[in-house]
Amino acid sequence: MDESTLVRHAANGDATAWEPLVLAHQEAVFRLSYLLLGDPDDAEDVAQETFLRAWKHLKRFDPTRPLRPWLLSIASNLASNRRRSAGRYFAALTRAFRDEPASTTIEEKSSQHMQAKDLWKAVQTLNVPDQQIVYLRYFLDLSVAETAEVLQIAEGTVKSRLSRALEKLRTTIQQDFPVLFEGREA
Amino acid sequence: MSDMEFEIKIRSLAQEMEYPRTPDIAGSVTARLRPTTRPRFPSKALAWSLTIILVLCSSLMLIPPVRAAIIEFIQIGVVRIFPPEPTVQPITTATPESLAPITAAPSTSSLIPILEQMDGSTTLADAQEKVEYSILLPDYPSDLGPPDHVYIQNMDGDMVILVWLDRQNPEKILMSLHFVPNGSWAIKKMEPTVIDETTVNGERAIWTTGPYPMYLSNGDLQYKRLITGHVLIWGGLDVTYRLETDLSMEEAVKIAESLEPIQ
Repeated sequence: MDESTLVRHAANGDATAWEPLVLAHQEAVFRLSYLLLGDPDDAEDVAQETFLRAWKHLKRFDPTRPLRPWLLSIASNLASNRRRSAGRYFAALTRAFRDEPASTTIEEKSSQHMQAKDLWKAVQTLNVPDQQIVYLRYFLDLSVAETAEVLQIAEGTVKSRLSRALEKLRTTIQQDFPVLFEGREA
Repeated sequence: MSDMEFEIKIRSLAQEMEYPRTPDIAGSVTARLRPTTRPRFPSKALAWSLTIILVLCSSLMLIPPVRAAIIEFIQIGVVRIFPPEPTVQPITTATPESLAPITAAPSTSSLIPILEQMDGSTTLADAQEKVEYSILLPDYPSDLGPPDHVYIQNMDGDMVILVWLDRQNPEKILMSLHFVPNGSWAIKKMEPTVIDETTVNGERAIWTTGPYPMYLSNGDLQYKRLITGHVLIWGGLDVTYRLETDLSMEEAVKIAESLEPIQ
Protein backbone atom coordinates (compact mmCIF):
# COMPACT_ATOMS: atom_id res chain seq x y z
CA MET A 1 0.00 0.00 0.00
CA ASP A 2 1.49 3.39 -0.92
CA GLU A 3 1.87 6.32 1.45
CA SER A 4 -1.14 8.30 0.28
CA THR A 5 -3.42 5.26 0.65
CA LEU A 6 -2.09 4.62 4.14
CA VAL A 7 -2.63 8.27 5.02
CA ARG A 8 -6.23 8.09 3.80
CA HIS A 9 -6.88 4.97 5.89
CA ALA A 10 -5.22 6.52 8.93
CA ALA A 11 -7.21 9.72 8.52
CA ASN A 12 -10.34 7.59 8.78
CA GLY A 13 -9.18 6.30 12.16
CA ASP A 14 -7.28 3.17 11.13
CA ALA A 15 -4.35 3.05 13.58
CA THR A 16 -2.89 -0.02 11.86
CA ALA A 17 -2.36 2.13 8.76
CA TRP A 18 -0.58 4.78 10.84
CA GLU A 19 2.01 2.41 12.31
CA PRO A 20 3.94 1.71 9.05
CA LEU A 21 3.98 5.44 8.35
CA VAL A 22 5.48 6.09 11.78
CA LEU A 23 8.05 3.38 11.13
CA ALA A 24 8.95 4.94 7.79
CA HIS A 25 9.50 8.43 9.17
CA GLN A 26 10.41 7.98 12.83
CA GLU A 27 14.16 8.12 12.21
CA ALA A 28 14.06 11.47 10.39
CA VAL A 29 11.67 12.96 12.96
CA PHE A 30 13.75 11.68 15.88
CA ARG A 31 17.02 12.92 14.34
CA LEU A 32 15.72 16.40 13.64
CA SER A 33 14.35 16.59 17.19
CA TYR A 34 17.69 15.41 18.55
CA LEU A 35 19.61 17.98 16.53
CA LEU A 36 17.34 20.77 17.74
CA LEU A 37 17.20 19.68 21.38
CA GLY A 38 20.49 17.89 21.94
CA ASP A 39 18.99 15.31 24.26
CA PRO A 40 17.77 11.85 23.19
CA ASP A 41 15.04 11.69 25.84
CA ASP A 42 13.65 15.06 24.82
CA ALA A 43 13.93 14.05 21.19
CA GLU A 44 12.00 10.83 21.82
CA ASP A 45 9.23 12.77 23.59
CA VAL A 46 8.97 15.25 20.75
CA ALA A 47 9.01 12.50 18.11
CA GLN A 48 6.17 10.68 19.87
CA GLU A 49 4.19 13.87 20.27
CA THR A 50 4.77 14.68 16.60
CA PHE A 51 3.14 11.47 15.43
CA LEU A 52 0.30 11.77 17.93
CA ARG A 53 -0.47 15.34 16.86
CA ALA A 54 -0.20 14.43 13.20
CA TRP A 55 -2.61 11.56 13.79
CA LYS A 56 -5.10 13.94 15.41
CA HIS A 57 -4.92 16.39 12.53
CA LEU A 58 -4.64 13.93 9.63
CA LYS A 59 -8.01 14.94 8.24
CA ARG A 60 -6.57 18.37 7.50
CA PHE A 61 -3.59 16.91 5.65
CA ASP A 62 -3.70 16.55 1.88
CA PRO A 63 -2.86 12.86 1.30
CA THR A 64 -1.50 13.57 -2.16
CA ARG A 65 1.39 15.48 -0.60
CA PRO A 66 4.45 13.78 0.89
CA LEU A 67 4.05 13.19 4.61
CA ARG A 68 7.65 13.69 5.74
CA PRO A 69 7.88 17.49 5.34
CA TRP A 70 4.66 17.93 7.30
CA LEU A 71 5.90 15.66 10.09
CA LEU A 72 9.23 17.46 10.21
CA SER A 73 7.41 20.77 10.35
CA ILE A 74 5.41 19.61 13.38
CA ALA A 75 8.53 18.20 15.04
CA SER A 76 10.43 21.41 14.41
CA ASN A 77 7.70 23.52 16.01
CA LEU A 78 7.33 21.18 18.97
CA ALA A 79 11.08 21.16 19.51
CA SER A 80 11.21 24.95 19.37
CA ASN A 81 8.45 25.16 21.97
CA ARG A 82 10.20 22.63 24.15
CA ARG A 83 13.44 24.56 24.02
CA ARG A 84 11.64 27.41 25.73
CA SER A 85 9.87 25.30 28.32
CA ALA A 86 10.80 25.06 31.96
CA GLY A 87 10.97 21.30 31.67
CA ARG A 88 13.82 21.54 29.25
CA TYR A 89 15.62 23.95 31.55
CA PHE A 90 15.45 21.47 34.38
CA ALA A 91 16.45 18.63 32.07
CA ALA A 92 19.49 20.64 31.00
CA LEU A 93 20.40 21.23 34.63
CA THR A 94 20.09 17.52 35.32
CA ARG A 95 22.25 16.67 32.34
CA ALA A 96 24.88 19.12 33.51
CA PHE A 97 25.40 16.98 36.58
CA ARG A 98 25.57 13.69 34.70
CA ASP A 99 28.96 12.10 34.30
CA GLU A 100 30.20 11.76 30.76
CA PRO A 101 29.83 8.13 29.66
CA ALA A 102 33.15 6.29 29.78
CA SER A 103 32.83 5.31 26.13
CA THR A 104 32.91 8.88 24.84
CA THR A 105 36.66 9.24 24.87
CA ILE A 106 38.40 10.86 21.97
CA GLU A 107 40.33 7.69 21.19
CA GLU A 108 37.16 5.72 20.65
CA LYS A 109 35.60 8.19 18.27
CA SER A 110 36.63 8.58 14.71
CA SER A 111 38.04 11.89 13.63
CA GLN A 112 35.18 12.44 11.21
CA HIS A 113 32.56 11.86 13.85
CA MET A 114 34.33 14.27 16.17
CA GLN A 115 34.43 16.87 13.43
CA ALA A 116 30.75 16.33 12.75
CA LYS A 117 30.07 16.90 16.42
CA ASP A 118 32.12 20.10 16.33
CA LEU A 119 30.10 21.21 13.33
CA TRP A 120 26.94 20.53 15.30
CA LYS A 121 28.29 22.68 18.15
CA ALA A 122 29.00 25.44 15.66
CA VAL A 123 25.49 25.21 14.22
CA GLN A 124 24.06 25.40 17.73
CA THR A 125 25.48 28.91 18.08
CA LEU A 126 23.17 30.10 15.28
CA ASN A 127 19.64 31.29 15.95
CA VAL A 128 16.90 28.68 15.82
CA PRO A 129 15.58 29.45 12.30
CA ASP A 130 19.14 29.22 10.95
CA GLN A 131 19.72 25.97 12.82
CA GLN A 132 16.50 24.51 11.41
CA ILE A 133 17.40 25.27 7.84
CA VAL A 134 20.96 23.90 8.17
CA TYR A 135 19.75 20.71 9.85
CA LEU A 136 17.10 20.09 7.24
CA ARG A 137 19.28 20.83 4.25
CA TYR A 138 22.61 19.30 5.27
CA PHE A 139 22.14 16.95 8.21
CA LEU A 140 18.89 15.39 6.99
CA ASP A 141 19.82 15.99 3.36
CA LEU A 142 16.44 17.38 2.31
CA SER A 143 16.11 19.08 -1.05
CA VAL A 144 15.43 22.80 -1.31
CA ALA A 145 11.80 22.02 -2.21
CA GLU A 146 11.37 19.71 0.78
CA THR A 147 13.01 22.23 3.10
CA ALA A 148 10.67 24.91 1.79
CA GLU A 149 7.69 22.67 2.49
CA VAL A 150 8.84 21.93 6.04
CA LEU A 151 9.40 25.59 6.84
CA GLN A 152 6.37 26.71 4.81
CA ILE A 153 8.38 29.29 2.91
CA ALA A 154 9.23 29.79 -0.76
CA GLU A 155 12.17 27.93 -2.30
CA GLY A 156 13.85 31.23 -3.06
CA THR A 157 13.56 32.17 0.60
CA VAL A 158 15.17 28.85 1.55
CA LYS A 159 18.14 29.66 -0.68
CA SER A 160 18.57 33.19 0.65
CA ARG A 161 18.18 32.13 4.29
CA LEU A 162 20.56 29.25 3.74
CA SER A 163 23.12 31.55 2.22
CA ARG A 164 22.93 33.89 5.22
CA ALA A 165 23.06 30.98 7.66
CA LEU A 166 26.16 29.57 5.96
CA GLU A 167 27.81 32.95 6.09
CA LYS A 168 27.24 33.14 9.85
CA LEU A 169 28.36 29.53 10.23
CA ARG A 170 31.59 30.20 8.37
CA THR A 171 32.34 33.15 10.67
CA THR A 172 31.61 31.02 13.75
CA ILE A 173 33.85 28.21 12.53
CA GLN A 174 36.68 30.61 11.74
CA GLN A 175 36.44 32.19 15.18
CA ASP A 176 35.60 29.27 17.45
CA PHE A 177 36.39 26.06 15.56
CA PRO A 178 39.41 26.97 13.41
CA VAL A 179 40.69 23.40 13.33
CA LEU A 180 37.42 21.99 12.08
CA PHE A 181 38.44 21.74 8.45
CA GLU A 182 42.16 21.47 8.81
CA GLY A 183 42.22 17.69 9.12
CA ARG A 184 39.88 17.16 6.21
CA GLU A 185 41.74 19.40 3.83
CA ALA A 186 44.99 17.52 4.36
CA MET B 1 37.59 28.39 0.28
CA SER B 2 34.77 29.34 -2.07
CA ASP B 3 31.14 29.36 -0.93
CA MET B 4 30.48 26.22 -2.94
CA GLU B 5 33.46 24.39 -1.45
CA PHE B 6 32.38 25.47 2.01
CA GLU B 7 28.85 24.16 1.40
CA ILE B 8 30.18 20.85 0.11
CA LYS B 9 32.34 20.45 3.22
CA ILE B 10 29.44 21.27 5.52
CA ARG B 11 27.25 18.72 3.79
CA SER B 12 29.98 16.11 3.88
CA LEU B 13 30.67 16.63 7.58
CA ALA B 14 26.99 16.72 8.47
CA GLN B 15 26.54 13.30 6.92
CA GLU B 16 29.09 11.94 9.40
CA MET B 17 26.95 13.01 12.35
CA GLU B 18 26.41 10.22 14.86
CA TYR B 19 22.91 9.95 16.31
CA PRO B 20 21.60 7.92 19.22
CA ARG B 21 19.78 4.79 18.14
CA THR B 22 16.25 5.73 17.08
CA PRO B 23 13.89 4.47 19.78
CA ASP B 24 10.76 2.49 19.02
CA ILE B 25 8.56 5.50 18.37
CA ALA B 26 6.06 3.44 16.36
CA GLY B 27 5.51 1.05 19.27
CA SER B 28 5.04 3.87 21.76
CA VAL B 29 2.71 5.81 19.48
CA THR B 30 0.60 2.74 18.72
CA ALA B 31 0.36 1.97 22.43
CA ARG B 32 -0.77 5.52 23.16
CA LEU B 33 -3.34 5.46 20.37
CA ARG B 34 -4.90 2.22 21.55
CA PRO B 35 -6.73 3.59 24.62
CA THR B 36 -8.37 6.36 22.61
CA THR B 37 -11.38 4.13 21.94
CA ARG B 38 -12.23 4.44 25.64
CA PRO B 39 -13.07 7.68 27.43
CA ARG B 40 -9.82 9.40 28.34
CA PHE B 41 -11.01 10.00 31.87
CA PRO B 42 -13.68 8.30 33.94
CA SER B 43 -15.38 11.63 34.43
CA LYS B 44 -15.07 15.22 33.37
CA ALA B 45 -14.45 16.19 36.97
CA LEU B 46 -11.48 13.85 37.15
CA ALA B 47 -10.18 15.19 33.86
CA TRP B 48 -10.26 18.71 35.22
CA SER B 49 -8.61 17.57 38.44
CA LEU B 50 -5.78 15.90 36.54
CA THR B 51 -5.32 18.98 34.38
CA ILE B 52 -5.15 21.18 37.43
CA ILE B 53 -2.72 18.86 39.19
CA LEU B 54 -0.44 18.63 36.15
CA VAL B 55 -0.38 22.37 35.66
CA LEU B 56 0.13 22.94 39.35
CA CYS B 57 3.05 20.54 39.49
CA SER B 58 4.79 22.16 36.56
CA SER B 59 4.10 25.71 37.63
CA LEU B 60 5.11 25.27 41.24
CA MET B 61 8.57 24.33 40.04
CA LEU B 62 8.86 27.86 38.71
CA ILE B 63 7.61 29.72 41.76
CA PRO B 64 10.08 30.52 44.53
CA PRO B 65 9.03 28.57 47.65
CA VAL B 66 8.35 31.71 49.62
CA ARG B 67 5.79 32.82 47.03
CA ALA B 68 4.34 29.43 46.27
CA ALA B 69 0.70 28.96 47.07
CA ILE B 70 -1.83 26.32 46.16
CA ILE B 71 -4.24 27.82 43.67
CA GLU B 72 -6.61 26.21 41.23
CA PHE B 73 -6.80 27.15 37.61
CA ILE B 74 -7.58 25.74 34.20
CA GLN B 75 -5.02 25.89 31.43
CA ILE B 76 -5.43 25.53 27.72
CA GLY B 77 -2.40 26.25 25.60
CA VAL B 78 -0.67 29.23 27.14
CA VAL B 79 -3.86 30.59 28.69
CA ARG B 80 -4.46 30.04 32.36
CA ILE B 81 -7.91 30.68 33.80
CA PHE B 82 -8.63 31.12 37.48
CA PRO B 83 -12.31 30.27 37.90
CA PRO B 84 -14.37 31.86 40.66
CA GLU B 85 -15.68 28.40 41.55
CA PRO B 86 -13.72 25.16 41.32
CA THR B 87 -16.42 23.56 39.18
CA VAL B 88 -17.17 24.19 35.53
CA GLN B 89 -20.47 26.00 35.11
CA PRO B 90 -22.71 25.57 32.09
CA ILE B 91 -24.05 28.55 30.21
CA THR B 92 -27.72 28.79 31.07
CA THR B 93 -28.81 31.93 29.29
CA ALA B 94 -28.32 33.33 25.84
CA THR B 95 -25.42 35.71 25.53
CA PRO B 96 -26.51 39.30 25.16
CA GLU B 97 -25.60 41.13 21.99
CA SER B 98 -25.26 44.36 23.88
CA LEU B 99 -21.97 43.47 25.54
CA ALA B 100 -19.01 45.55 24.51
CA PRO B 101 -16.81 43.41 22.35
CA ILE B 102 -13.33 44.22 23.51
CA THR B 103 -11.14 46.17 25.96
CA ALA B 104 -11.89 48.20 29.01
CA ALA B 105 -12.46 51.37 27.05
CA PRO B 106 -15.95 52.81 27.52
CA SER B 107 -18.21 51.59 24.77
CA THR B 108 -19.05 55.10 23.73
CA SER B 109 -15.45 56.06 23.04
CA SER B 110 -13.74 55.28 19.77
CA LEU B 111 -11.19 52.48 19.73
CA ILE B 112 -9.62 53.59 16.48
CA PRO B 113 -6.97 55.86 18.07
CA ILE B 114 -5.94 52.97 20.32
CA LEU B 115 -5.66 50.63 17.37
CA GLU B 116 -3.62 53.15 15.42
CA GLN B 117 -1.22 53.57 18.31
CA MET B 118 -0.68 49.88 18.88
CA ASP B 119 2.81 48.67 18.16
CA GLY B 120 3.58 46.25 15.37
CA SER B 121 0.98 47.26 12.81
CA THR B 122 1.72 45.39 9.61
CA THR B 123 0.17 43.52 6.70
CA LEU B 124 -1.00 39.92 6.58
CA ALA B 125 1.72 38.98 4.09
CA ASP B 126 4.45 40.55 6.20
CA ALA B 127 3.15 38.90 9.37
CA GLN B 128 3.06 35.50 7.68
CA GLU B 129 6.60 35.97 6.45
CA LYS B 130 7.79 36.72 9.97
CA VAL B 131 6.10 34.00 12.00
CA GLU B 132 6.88 30.30 11.92
CA TYR B 133 3.27 29.15 12.21
CA SER B 134 0.43 29.52 9.71
CA ILE B 135 -1.81 32.54 10.15
CA LEU B 136 -5.39 31.39 9.68
CA LEU B 137 -8.34 33.45 8.47
CA PRO B 138 -11.99 32.68 9.10
CA ASP B 139 -14.09 31.58 6.17
CA TYR B 140 -17.23 32.27 8.22
CA PRO B 141 -19.22 34.43 8.01
CA SER B 142 -18.77 34.47 4.25
CA ASP B 143 -18.91 38.25 4.00
CA LEU B 144 -16.36 38.87 6.74
CA GLY B 145 -13.42 39.69 4.48
CA PRO B 146 -9.82 40.23 5.52
CA PRO B 147 -8.98 41.80 8.89
CA ASP B 148 -8.96 45.59 9.12
CA HIS B 149 -5.86 45.65 11.28
CA VAL B 150 -2.94 43.23 11.62
CA TYR B 151 -0.35 43.41 14.39
CA ILE B 152 2.71 41.38 15.17
CA GLN B 153 4.30 41.78 18.56
CA ASN B 154 7.59 40.05 19.07
CA MET B 155 8.51 39.29 22.61
CA ASP B 156 10.15 35.89 22.87
CA GLY B 157 7.69 34.63 20.30
CA ASP B 158 5.67 36.41 17.67
CA MET B 159 2.07 37.01 18.68
CA VAL B 160 -0.17 37.98 15.77
CA ILE B 161 -3.40 39.89 16.37
CA LEU B 162 -6.04 40.29 13.69
CA VAL B 163 -8.82 42.82 14.21
CA TRP B 164 -12.10 43.13 12.33
CA LEU B 165 -14.16 46.30 12.71
CA ASP B 166 -17.94 46.33 12.84
CA ARG B 167 -19.16 47.53 9.42
CA GLN B 168 -22.30 49.01 10.93
CA ASN B 169 -20.24 50.92 13.44
CA PRO B 170 -16.64 51.22 12.23
CA GLU B 171 -15.53 52.68 15.54
CA LYS B 172 -16.43 49.41 17.22
CA ILE B 173 -14.50 46.17 17.01
CA LEU B 174 -16.44 43.16 15.75
CA MET B 175 -13.84 40.63 16.85
CA SER B 176 -10.16 40.05 17.33
CA LEU B 177 -8.20 36.86 16.81
CA HIS B 178 -4.93 36.33 18.66
CA PHE B 179 -2.28 33.77 17.68
CA VAL B 180 -0.14 33.15 20.73
CA PRO B 181 2.81 30.82 20.08
CA ASN B 182 3.07 28.17 22.74
CA GLY B 183 5.97 28.76 25.08
CA SER B 184 6.18 32.51 24.58
CA TRP B 185 3.56 34.73 26.12
CA ALA B 186 1.73 33.77 29.24
CA ILE B 187 -1.85 34.87 29.57
CA LYS B 188 -3.77 34.69 32.81
CA LYS B 189 -7.47 35.27 33.04
CA MET B 190 -8.82 36.21 36.42
CA GLU B 191 -12.23 34.92 37.45
CA PRO B 192 -14.37 35.28 34.34
CA THR B 193 -18.04 35.11 35.22
CA VAL B 194 -18.83 32.10 33.04
CA ILE B 195 -16.55 29.29 31.99
CA ASP B 196 -17.85 26.68 29.64
CA GLU B 197 -16.12 23.82 27.91
CA THR B 198 -16.73 23.24 24.22
CA THR B 199 -14.80 21.90 21.23
CA VAL B 200 -13.26 23.34 18.09
CA ASN B 201 -12.77 20.72 15.39
CA GLY B 202 -13.06 18.09 18.09
CA GLU B 203 -10.37 19.66 20.26
CA ARG B 204 -11.04 20.98 23.74
CA ALA B 205 -11.83 24.68 23.95
CA ILE B 206 -12.83 27.08 26.70
CA TRP B 207 -15.44 29.81 26.52
CA THR B 208 -15.33 32.66 29.01
CA THR B 209 -17.36 35.78 29.53
CA GLY B 210 -16.47 38.93 31.40
CA PRO B 211 -16.03 41.27 32.89
CA TYR B 212 -12.71 40.25 34.34
CA PRO B 213 -9.15 41.57 34.32
CA MET B 214 -6.76 39.76 32.00
CA TYR B 215 -3.01 39.71 32.59
CA LEU B 216 -0.47 39.21 29.84
CA SER B 217 3.04 38.62 31.05
CA ASN B 218 6.36 37.96 29.42
CA GLY B 219 9.44 38.03 31.57
CA ASP B 220 9.50 41.27 33.51
CA LEU B 221 6.69 42.83 31.52
CA GLN B 222 3.09 42.54 32.59
CA TYR B 223 -0.01 44.05 31.08
CA LYS B 224 -3.50 44.24 32.51
CA ARG B 225 -6.67 44.69 30.52
CA LEU B 226 -10.34 44.49 31.47
CA ILE B 227 -12.27 42.09 29.25
CA THR B 228 -15.96 42.83 29.02
CA GLY B 229 -16.83 40.52 26.13
CA HIS B 230 -16.58 36.81 25.40
CA VAL B 231 -13.47 34.84 24.58
CA LEU B 232 -13.05 31.44 22.97
CA ILE B 233 -9.68 29.78 23.60
CA TRP B 234 -8.38 26.66 21.96
CA GLY B 235 -5.06 25.11 21.13
CA GLY B 236 -3.54 24.36 17.75
CA LEU B 237 -0.42 22.45 16.84
CA ASP B 238 1.96 25.10 18.04
CA VAL B 239 -0.26 28.07 18.70
CA THR B 240 -2.97 28.94 21.19
CA TYR B 241 -5.87 30.75 19.53
CA ARG B 242 -7.93 33.38 21.31
CA LEU B 243 -11.06 34.73 19.64
CA GLU B 244 -12.61 37.75 21.34
CA THR B 245 -16.07 38.84 20.24
CA ASP B 246 -19.54 39.76 21.40
CA LEU B 247 -21.06 36.96 19.33
CA SER B 248 -22.51 33.84 20.95
CA MET B 249 -20.42 30.79 21.75
CA GLU B 250 -22.03 28.87 18.87
CA GLU B 251 -21.10 31.61 16.41
CA ALA B 252 -17.58 31.86 17.81
CA VAL B 253 -17.10 28.11 17.42
CA LYS B 254 -18.32 28.30 13.82
CA ILE B 255 -15.80 31.05 13.14
CA ALA B 256 -13.03 29.08 14.85
CA GLU B 257 -13.81 25.95 12.88
CA SER B 258 -13.77 27.87 9.61
CA LEU B 259 -10.16 29.02 9.98
CA GLU B 260 -8.01 28.32 6.95
CA PRO B 261 -4.42 29.26 6.06
CA ILE B 262 -3.94 32.44 4.04
CA GLN B 263 -4.36 31.69 0.34
